[in-house]
Amino acid sequence: MTGPRAWWNLIREPLLSVLGAFVVGALLMAASGHNPISAYMAMIQSSLVGSGLTSTLGRATPIIGLGLAAAIAFRSGFFNLGGEGQFVLGGLAAALVCLHAPLPGSLLIPTSFVAAALVSGLWAWLGADWEFRFGVPLLISTLLMNYPARLLASYLVSKPLRDVASGLPQSHAIPESAYLPGAISGRFHLGLVLVVIAVMAVSWLFLRTVVGYRMRMTGLNARFARYGGIDVGRLGRGVMFASGALAGSIGAIQILGVHFRFIDGALTKPFYAWTGLMVALLARSRPVGVLVGGFFFAAVQTGGFGMERAVEVPRELSQVLQALIILFVAVGAQRPVRDLEEGEAHV
Amino acid sequence: MIQWVYFDRRPALFMTEGAKNNPPPALELRDILKKFGRVVANDHVDLCVEPGEIRALVGENGAGKTTLMRVAYGLYRPDAGEIRVGGARQEFASPVDAIATGLGMVHQHFMLFPDLTVAENVVYGAEPSRFGVVDRSLAASQIEQLSRLHGLDVDPNVLIRDLSVGARQRVEILKALYRRARVLILDEPTAVLAPRERDGLFAVLEDLAEDGTAIVFITHKLPEVMRLAERATVMRDGSVVGTVTVADSSPEEISRMMIGRDLPAPPTRERKAAGGPLLVVEGVSVDAPSGRRVVHEVSLEVDTGEIVGIAGAAGNGQSELIETLMGFRPTAAGKISVAGQPVETLSIANRREAGLAWLPDDRDGLGLALEASITNNLMMGSEARPPLSNGRRSSRRGCEEFASVRAHEYRIKSSDLRAPALSLSGGNRQKVLIARELPLAKRVLLAEQPTRGLDFLSAADVHRRLLDHRAEGHAVLLVSSELSEILELSDRILVMFEGRVVGRLGSAEATEERLGLLMAGAVAQATP
Repeated sequence: MTGPRAWWNLIREPLLSVLGAFVVGALLMAASGHNPISAYMAMIQSSLVGSGLTSTLGRATPIIGLGLAAAIAFRSGFFNLGGEGQFVLGGLAAALVCLHAPLPGSLLIPTSFVAAALVSGLWAWLGADWEFRFGVPLLISTLLMNYPARLLASYLVSKPLRDVASGLPQSHAIPESAYLPGAISGRFHLGLVLVVIAVMAVSWLFLRTVVGYRMRMTGLNARFARYGGIDVGRLGRGVMFASGALAGSIGAIQILGVHFRFIDGALTKPFYAWTGLMVALLARSRPVGVLVGGFFFAAVQTGGFGMERAVEVPRELSQVLQALIILFVAVGAQRPVRDLEEGEAHV
Repeated sequence: MIQWVYFDRRPALFMTEGAKNNPPPALELRDILKKFGRVVANDHVDLCVEPGEIRALVGENGAGKTTLMRVAYGLYRPDAGEIRVGGARQEFASPVDAIATGLGMVHQHFMLFPDLTVAENVVYGAEPSRFGVVDRSLAASQIEQLSRLHGLDVDPNVLIRDLSVGARQRVEILKALYRRARVLILDEPTAVLAPRERDGLFAVLEDLAEDGTAIVFITHKLPEVMRLAERATVMRDGSVVGTVTVADSSPEEISRMMIGRDLPAPPTRERKAAGGPLLVVEGVSVDAPSGRRVVHEVSLEVDTGEIVGIAGAAGNGQSELIETLMGFRPTAAGKISVAGQPVETLSIANRREAGLAWLPDDRDGLGLALEASITNNLMMGSEARPPLSNGRRSSRRGCEEFASVRAHEYRIKSSDLRAPALSLSGGNRQKVLIARELPLAKRVLLAEQPTRGLDFLSAADVHRRLLDHRAEGHAVLLVSSELSEILELSDRILVMFEGRVVGRLGSAEATEERLGLLMAGAVAQATP
């Protein structure tokens, strides 16, 4: 169980899942009269080369960020399904700060991030608080809290905050001083760097800190954690705050780095939060796995567009492919643990 | 015997004729090889059990007894070797096949539906039916007849969840008999029983053997072997060391065979002058989440350098009491103090801070995170202190050194402390718990069933460590359903029955008989 062996054990399942999904995808394409090889070639071309890579990275940024936010909670045993709402509220908070806060330009960016993290962190914290105070399952509360968050943002940008002149349900544009560095040049902006730093930081948190140890133990066996003296209620509230705050910050990154205003539906339509959730599951909540997986899913999605353009394979197929990967992972997920039990328990 | 038509599973009538001279063995295992990965659990094992024989299958944990019986019962497929039942060679794809040829097994963990009745559980999979509908009254009367015949006293119409552990075991035996088992395998059947229930079980087994049923009895308790079995087959490290006739052997000989050398001398317990009380419990009551009171006004004290034992059959409130002392459950009433400091309102962390530590009964579910590394399991409770961390940042070196020192000190057998705790045997898992909790027990250790499921050597090691801990001036509150353990370790003994303390004895006046009577609630009224 050391070195390369342990690594192999960790990546074997996701790798096989992905391979299996691509094989089944190829069969589906062949069955519907497309050439799978040229389709996959087009997919690679349009997602990993040149401007394709740029758009993959742009798409990967929120997916990785939201996957990481989910992973923080999942690995600690708390099922935060509210990533989408937290993401939207964070974006909204960041846009509001940039539009209305009487601050000099240089302070707009940090203030937006703090506001986004606070609002979304508290929103997620609420779910944890209800679970520990009233026994409302986190799974349900966080899932349902997506609706008020999303609809509130939708209402605000279509009524009171609407940029009427633009004719669209969106807020006014934020001042240029609030743009993330690199944002104007295209889709490669500071956000990606921030997300990669966040991945490293969370990885370090899990493996090198006392709190991270307590989070992992709570995730593996909450009763054990409680028995050992960990205040699971307090930890859970903190974890949910952190998870929400990260999701909110990703919202700020999208507003300050991509859209430059709050556009209704821009954060929710691409299903970033849900893709991130899938990535977190696929990566078993390992931060570096989320990084790799998030990039991979982004590539599959942008590659889907390319495939459609080049060989007229419907883009829905790339979504079918994603679903297949999750299915294959679900099948494989329990395997290693079970093998271990079989081998040792009765000898 | 003859009036009993439904269950004529006996070859007894045939045996009175010619076959009597040379009946084929009831169960014969030849040259069984069973591997799990690279681990050889059964290394070419032979076993032959005659009809009407009670055979003890003994050995330390991990000797391969349970594996061998699971092979016989069709739960595992052997990698080589053959199984014969009543002389005919058999291949079992699953226990269903094994049951069909007349095998029955009572597992350590019962396989019953708690929300079904006794009758429903017994007939499950072999229901008597009329016009395609399960005939419940016939099932109930069959079971009643069967249980009367064998002295297996249970009411067929009661739900399993309402039965005691001993009664559940009787249901398991009935299940096997209902399916006309000619070979009955029992895996450590006495581990969960109070002494009186154990005596009842032995009577049933003797009666069944009289009727011709072959019985294989897995255990590592020698007094039971000496009392019940005709012959004992000893296993060690996956192989059979030998089979002895119990009457011609001795516990010493069998234990030597089991462990490969002489038994360590039992630990000596010097009486130390006790200091002040470290743990004081006054009138503590505990309510289950349903609101039912499960512990009634228990008061006790444990002094410095003292082990106080709480005897009682499982499920009489001991676990709830211990969980409450630790802060795992709320206290409904009463006071708890550790070294004079009231703790009943403190959090678990603060109670640990006050010097309480706990070896829980539920090791795998509560005491360990099985999927976490051994190191991570050893760290719990010390993780925020040097040398493991500076309170915030963990030191990898510090954690690894800490774990390897503990592992060495407590002889945890593992090649890699980064491996999950799941990879350890039961004995080694308990060592991990002890290695973690003893150093944390600055004042009081709550030790719940500390040797359940452990073999001789592991159990002796645990006992020695508990006595050492006591000798260092700590207090130990020991909960055990194992009377010999209570008697061997305790300075004073309390007996719990139905949530109350029904007896308090000094170690000198306590005997197994007296405790057994108290545990069964016999004199509950006399000493409230």
